[in-house]
Amino acid sequence: MTQSAKPISSPVPDAWYPSLAVPMLAVGLVITASFFIYEATSSRKNRSLAKELVTGAAASFFLGFGSLFLLLASGVYV
Amino acid sequence: MSYVVGACGGPNKPFCKKEGFVHCSLRTSSLTIIVLHIFFRRLGSILSEKARLNMEVFVARSRLTLIFSLFALFSLSSSSLSSSTTELQILTAERRIDLASHIIRVVLTLKVQNDGTSAASDVLLAFPPAQAKHLALIQAAEVAGKKRKKSLHPLDVKPSNHADGPNGAKFYSISLRNPLGTGGSVSIDVSYVLTQSLEPFPVEIRQSEPQLVLYRDSALILSPYEIKQQTTVIRTPSTKVESFTRVEPSTQLRTELKYGPYEDQPSFSYSPILVHFENNNPFAVVEELVREIEISHWGSLQVTEHYTLVHNGARHKGGFSRVEYQSRPTISGVASFKHLLVKLPPRVHSVYYRDNIGNISTSHLRTGYSKSELEIEPRYPLLGGWKATFVIGYGIPLEDVLFESDDGKRYLNFSFGCPIAETLVNKITNKVVLPEGSKNPSVVVPFSVERRAETSYSYLDIVGRPVVVLEKENVVPEHNVLFQVYYDFHPMSMLAEPLMLTSVFFFLFVAALAYIHMDISIRK
Repeated sequence: MTQSAKPISSPVPDAWYPSLAVPMLAVGLVITASFFIYEATSSRKNRSLAKELVTGAAASFFLGFGSLFLLLASGVYV
Repeated sequence: MSYVVGACGGPNKPFCKKEGFVHCSLRTSSLTIIVLHIFFRRLGSILSEKARLNMEVFVARSRLTLIFSLFALFSLSSSSLSSSTTELQILTAERRIDLASHIIRVVLTLKVQNDGTSAASDVLLAFPPAQAKHLALIQAAEVAGKKRKKSLHPLDVKPSNHADGPNGAKFYSISLRNPLGTGGSVSIDVSYVLTQSLEPFPVEIRQSEPQLVLYRDSALILSPYEIKQQTTVIRTPSTKVESFTRVEPSTQLRTELKYGPYEDQPSFSYSPILVHFENNNPFAVVEELVREIEISHWGSLQVTEHYTLVHNGARHKGGFSRVEYQSRPTISGVASFKHLLVKLPPRVHSVYYRDNIGNISTSHLRTGYSKSELEIEPRYPLLGGWKATFVIGYGIPLEDVLFESDDGKRYLNFSFGCPIAETLVNKITNKVVLPEGSKNPSVVVPFSVERRAETSYSYLDIVGRPVVVLEKENVVPEHNVLFQVYYDFHPMSMLAEPLMLTSVFFFLFVAALAYIHMDISIRK
């Protein structure tokens, strides 16, 4: 191959996968916990839907990426 | 240009004049047919077993010459090679046939001269139909310069669309770099690989017998042009040659049989010969190899190979005594093989070797800088006709094999053939699984393959992954060259997978919210 061949690798270095997976999952679970605590402690009148949705979105973002890196770290290259 | 046969009086002299050829050959051929048939039938019934074996060789050879003389009769009326305006002549031809392994490699050195009136741009090579069927690979190069300054320029060889020659000879045409002018000459090196051309004879052997094989070819090189001088040298793996057809002048010197030099042979001259020799090299043939190459843009290439291995030599008869096999390795099971060497890319990880029962632990992996070697030992040694099926899998880091080309396409650079050393593959299927979201796959392979497209579904897939399937038959180790698969992939498509996971979790949260906000109490 005489043309310039640029090797392609993953956008995130391989070695970072486990060290990305664990903190992201931890943060995601903490936010999930805060979501359910808010649900349990607030009364019907004080609930704010916007705050619930934002908490849910943030938690699902961290949980989603964390589980992806967990799959990659354990060898299931999806 | 008529087909001159060795039975008609020797390879050096065409027996009959052109005018009376039909009547002459009719008479001689019919006479020889009758006489030889009666003679050998009688002999065969009288002689003993061992002599019968040798006699069967002679009978086979005589039958060959008879068959060819019969064909010569019937093909006289058929058209010979259509006359071309260029007349080429081969000044010297040297053919070296290497019979050391079960894959036969032949190197043909030709010096071609143009005696005609117009320039020639192609040189034709002829092969008997049996050889053309088993031809796995053919390459040609033009030799320029002399001695130290020799340089080889590869030339294009492809099957020619000429009508078949006498007796169904098939043609291949070599395209020259520059057209050969009148009176000019050029040296060409042709190398080709023949498979499945060694017949085991005896067909079945016991555990303690060596393996003897037959090789059929011609002492004279089959060519559509006249050859002024030619030699053929056959190299056998050992000095144990049971018999070989003598076509004067032929000599045997240690492991080399030399036929020639023969002078002034007309075109399409053919003198069938038979070499019966001992070949105990492992006849390892993979009947089918299905290889799945899965690309994951997150950093790894996973290869899974399914093998069906068979020993293609003389079939094993009688019992198998393990005691005799292990205590006397030089006498017992000399034609069997226990170990296979698999050559893998350098930075390979997670190598496994298993079959239907489970993991096979008799394997050794040696990783290195330029290549890795996996030495595998199947659960039992393979004797003639025995089969083994297994799976080898390994992973390679992505930056070794996936590159980005200048026009923005990504391509995979991987080797096509079977990684097991010195093995013939009857059918190879390479499945390249591209990541989800890849478009427009295209393939660059240096030889002809059959291409198909499939879709496969794997982890976190919605629409499925496009699969490029490449199939080829009769694959030899010389086919272990790199091939490329080009495809388009937008980097944003990689986000599809984590976003899919995120949306699943978000859906769970929304469901929890909906349940909490719903008021299903009966009492207000």
